[in-house]
Amino acid sequence: MKKGMIKVSDSFERIVHWCMAISCIILMISGLGMMFHSFNFIAIPVGGLKNLKLIHNFTGLVFIPSLLFAILIWWKEAGIFRFPEDLEWIKVAGGYLWHVDKVPETGKYNPGQKAFFWAVAFFGVVMIVTGLIMWFPLGFPVKLVRWMYTLHALGFFVIFSFFFVHLYLGTVGVPGSVSAILTGWVTRSWAEKQCPKWLKEMEESGKLEVSE
Amino acid sequence: MTNHWIDIQYSDCVLIMGSNAASNHPISFKYVTKAIENGAKLISVDPRFTQTSSKADIYASLRSGTDIAFLGGMINYILENNLIQEKYVKYYTNASFLVNPDFKLPGENEGVFSGLKDATYDKSSWAFQTDLKGVVKKDMTLTDPNCVYQLLKKHYSRYNPDIVSRITGTPKDKLLEVYKEYAKTGAVGKAGTIMYAMGWTQHTVGVQNIRTMSIIQLLLGNMGVAGGGVNALRGESNVQGSTDHALLFHILPGYLKTPSASLPTLAVYNAKNTPTTVEPNSLNWWKNTPKYMASFLRAHYGVSATLEEAYGYLPKLDDGQNYSWLSLFDAMYKEKLTGFFSWGQNPACSGASSNKTRQAITKLDWMVNVNIFDNETGSFWKGPGMDPKKIKTEVFMLPCSASIEKEGSIINSGRWMQWRYKAVDSPGVAMPDGEIISELFYKVRELYEKEGGPLKEAITKMTWDYGPKGVDGTVRHLDVHYIAKEINGYFLEDKEINGTLYKKGSLVPSFAFLQDDGSTSSGNWLYCNSYTEKGNMAARRGKKDESGIGLYPEWAWSWPVNRRIIYNGASVDPETGRPWDTEHPVIIWNGSSWVGDVPDGVAAPGAGRPPFIMKPHGVGSIFGPGLADGPFPEHYEPLECPIEKNILSPQFVNPTIKRWDEEGTGTDVDARATCDPRFPIVCSTYRVSEHWQTGLMTRWCPWLAEMQPSMFVEIGTELAKNKGIKNGEIVTVKSVRGQVDAVAIVTERWKPFTIDGNTIHEIGIPWHYGWVTTKMREYVHGDKKPEVFTFGDSANIVTPFIGDANTMIPESKAFMVNVERKEG
Amino acid sequence: MSEKIKLCDLSKCTGCRGCQLACKQWNQLPAKQTVNYGTYQNPPDLQPNTWNVIRFQEISENGAVDWLFRHDACMHCTDAACVKVCPSGALYHTKYGTVALDSAKCIGCKECVFACPFEVPRYDPETDKVIKCDMCYSRIDNAMQPACVKACPTGALRFGDKKEMLQIAYARAKELGGDASVYGDTFVDGTHMIYVLPRKAAVYDRLPEKPRVPFSVIAWKDWLKPLSLLAAGGVVGGAFLHYIIHGPKDTSGGGDQASREGGE
Repeated sequence: MKKGMIKVSDSFERIVHWCMAISCIILMISGLGMMFHSFNFIAIPVGGLKNLKLIHNFTGLVFIPSLLFAILIWWKEAGIFRFPEDLEWIKVAGGYLWHVDKVPETGKYNPGQKAFFWAVAFFGVVMIVTGLIMWFPLGFPVKLVRWMYTLHALGFFVIFSFFFVHLYLGTVGVPGSVSAILTGWVTRSWAEKQCPKWLKEMEESGKLEVSE
Repeated sequence: MTNHWIDIQYSDCVLIMGSNAASNHPISFKYVTKAIENGAKLISVDPRFTQTSSKADIYASLRSGTDIAFLGGMINYILENNLIQEKYVKYYTNASFLVNPDFKLPGENEGVFSGLKDATYDKSSWAFQTDLKGVVKKDMTLTDPNCVYQLLKKHYSRYNPDIVSRITGTPKDKLLEVYKEYAKTGAVGKAGTIMYAMGWTQHTVGVQNIRTMSIIQLLLGNMGVAGGGVNALRGESNVQGSTDHALLFHILPGYLKTPSASLPTLAVYNAKNTPTTVEPNSLNWWKNTPKYMASFLRAHYGVSATLEEAYGYLPKLDDGQNYSWLSLFDAMYKEKLTGFFSWGQNPACSGASSNKTRQAITKLDWMVNVNIFDNETGSFWKGPGMDPKKIKTEVFMLPCSASIEKEGSIINSGRWMQWRYKAVDSPGVAMPDGEIISELFYKVRELYEKEGGPLKEAITKMTWDYGPKGVDGTVRHLDVHYIAKEINGYFLEDKEINGTLYKKGSLVPSFAFLQDDGSTSSGNWLYCNSYTEKGNMAARRGKKDESGIGLYPEWAWSWPVNRRIIYNGASVDPETGRPWDTEHPVIIWNGSSWVGDVPDGVAAPGAGRPPFIMKPHGVGSIFGPGLADGPFPEHYEPLECPIEKNILSPQFVNPTIKRWDEEGTGTDVDARATCDPRFPIVCSTYRVSEHWQTGLMTRWCPWLAEMQPSMFVEIGTELAKNKGIKNGEIVTVKSVRGQVDAVAIVTERWKPFTIDGNTIHEIGIPWHYGWVTTKMREYVHGDKKPEVFTFGDSANIVTPFIGDANTMIPESKAFMVNVERKEG
Repeated sequence: MSEKIKLCDLSKCTGCRGCQLACKQWNQLPAKQTVNYGTYQNPPDLQPNTWNVIRFQEISENGAVDWLFRHDACMHCTDAACVKVCPSGALYHTKYGTVALDSAKCIGCKECVFACPFEVPRYDPETDKVIKCDMCYSRIDNAMQPACVKACPTGALRFGDKKEMLQIAYARAKELGGDASVYGDTFVDGTHMIYVLPRKAAVYDRLPEKPRVPFSVIAWKDWLKPLSLLAAGGVVGGAFLHYIIHGPKDTSGGGDQASREGGE
């Protein structure tokens, strides 16, 4: 490893992230296969829609702890908006959409990422609750169950959209990001661009882990 | 049925009383519904609001056992308002006949007719007045105080709406609504029909219930016309056939009377049982009795015995002896019988007062249970309250074939004889009943031939030509066509009749050809014409109907002589021959002969022949002196009832019924509890669509058991509230004779009655259940085990041991019980 | 092929339950143990083994009692919520307009169970499939009447071409007069079982007065489904545009700060 790399995530965080990411992707793909007749073909490799349903349901069981751990891990750093800096950042959209001379410095996660956290955390819980009721609906009031399907679809709409934003910004949109969640190490320059304030705080407190 | 199922659709007013046809004869509602669509009114009279009531234009409730009061009120209404079909009543009934002036009506004779002594009527005062030649005196103006019409009017004037309402509990306005609507069918060209079932017959006044309606039908001119008649909806798919072929003790096939010990020879029998008349023009069809009896004897014993010898072989009743169901089980209980064939029945559940019946069976030495399944009768020794160690009765089970496992005929309520074919083989060792009887016959004959016995010729000389025979002369396999042909009858020698020669061995074309000299045979004269040289009439399936009133004469065969509506001679004007109802004519005079249905005894228009040819005088009996309990029906309370006295007269119950509850008549189990505070609730029994009889063929059918899984009792909301009974909970229905558990169905459909100012409740129970279920059956490896069962025991545990005065049918439709939440 | 309708004229129904049994016989549906719970109605409701059930209902008004019998089974909607939500295409419209079910395709997701405005489809845990009346597709496609219609003794149930059945239904309702009405042809684009109701629809137990495809199903299937694709497409497109117009964020360390600090 190159010298001077900065540690931004530990292995537990990365395991949780990938558990959630992979389960989420499987859920979205299998869900798509059941949601649209035109995507029914997705079920072909797994031997039919019934299997796809089983895959979807049991992947959901992986997604549930992943999401819960993710919320536990990240809610402090990504779940709380800090003012005024986050507001400042929002005003300039983090410099993603137009040229900004000086992007306000943010903590480990910028408000965009925080919004993503909230979307995933909130609608993730919605997906879990509605999904479980959909899986075991007998005994619940009909009118309640009916809305579970609608909310599940709404959750999908939100998470599906954010997923692509996340994918883009985590890869080609912000080069160097992938390593943050693959190896846990990023370049100092990446960290300075992405989370300058955090970097400063870590350095001041002496907690920053830098590769030798 | 005097008419038939299809015919109901031509009615202008359908009265369903003593029946829940919608539920228990569902197919009948195909035609009731058509009648309604054609504009007919439907009236439902029932203690309980039933499926039938739900389709009715008018529903009237009445307390069980008060039908004569209800209908007597209708007769009163018809006469008071002069709504009779006058010409019909004058020419086709005995309304104009003068009755012996000594005759007294119950209203002037302490509630009974004149002549009552020791529970039997001396009917001499009931006779008609005759002139010197013996012709009945008549008053065609119907004004003579001794004429039937005036007597009828006087008798039923006591049945005014106020009195009737006090007895029946029917609101007065409902009574009048029903009377008004039904009486409209008295108009010329209008027809009203009555559909009744066991709700009318199972009473101590069962026959008189039907008589009351018969009088109404005669007054309104509803007999013999399309959409009219008196129509018994049979409770068993072949009960019409079993009655025609003499299942009962007092008749031989074709309603010939059973010989009695006091009629030692055929000549005496014929003299006693052949009615005569000197009425001009009357056909008096029963004058042919000697021909039918001779042909019957020939069918039994062939030509090897003389007719007198053959008559000698027939079993004779001792005078006054009664071998009806109740008497037999009473005798069995009193250990007067040692053996019993329980054939195709389930007395332990179907007989009144089941505890007595079940106890009676324990007193036998042996019993043979012939049935398609095990039942409460065959397994009585392990039933509730029985100790097998103490029971001596040896039980044999002979499995027999179900109806679809054999060929034969079945007679429906409309008197149609329809041929059915075998669909599947019988399982295991099961055999058709006929085969079992045949084997039994040969064994019994062998024993008689070997050991002798009293009147052994009765068995040893009996012909048994029911199939191709083997070298030993016995029938190898029973062929039902041989039996059907014997029932129709053969010419036993070459015979020339009206210039036509009928060869020996050929089938008799119809009963008009039967002879009294022994040259013909016929197992049942009524069925002569059913299997002729033209073939098996019952197997016909022609769908042509030129009548336009649904007679379908080429579909199967109907007794007598394929006549579809009996008494149809009364459907036309006596003078002109014009049909009363020109829209739905049953028979039409085409100038030289009648066309349409097979005409019933009717001569050319204006010839003056009265059309009720089975009656010696040729007319319908408004005054009917033939019955045991009176020439006119009179209201008596059921043996068990909720009131202390008959509101109408001092005579409480039918005076002529055979009693078992009185000192020295019955047994210790024949208890009666009338007007008893321990049993204050009227109870009736009935059926559901899903089950049949004691449920023997339906309780094992999972789909049916699923729909009606258990014994229940329907209780009105008010009574349930009084008793603290909740819907769906288990309750106990108790009578003085026993008790049965049931699920409570608390319903708005059963309202309390106001009887003479008091509130009287009634409840009802179905009788299809029994304690035997398929759960307790032993299964062999590979058997498919059932998963659906029924629960509960027979309703007859609580019913009384008492029968109708004429027929001995038990009074299972009105008795007293209590109902309580199940203890413990 | 013309649309077919099963006409159920309740004024002629006597509650004999011939239809209920005939259905079980033709479709070979096993019986299940029941108990009498204080009514003639049994099984208590539609079940995986009971595709039509007669509902027995007592009503009492002004001292007069009535006993209503209603043949309850699939209504076979034209705008069928079940077909709309079925993910696998197991539920489908036949050429007769009826809704049939290809059981092999059913994945037991139960979505139809809750979408149906008449609460008809039933889930069978034993087979993990949903099942319902298919108007005897095997019979009607062979020019026979549905089993229930064949068994009906009174003519309360009839089966025939849509136009003819509607004519009969309206004529009958008019003949009955009073509160009588035709039920079924005016909602969910018309059902293929229609009732002639002698009384107001609201009187009948478990019969929705104004049935329609639930709003939740419309929101889900008609709005959110396309919206989610649209949104996903929009985001992917937006990202692409962002990349080519705005370019990726520069995190390579070219900035002053980075070089300065990096130099330390």
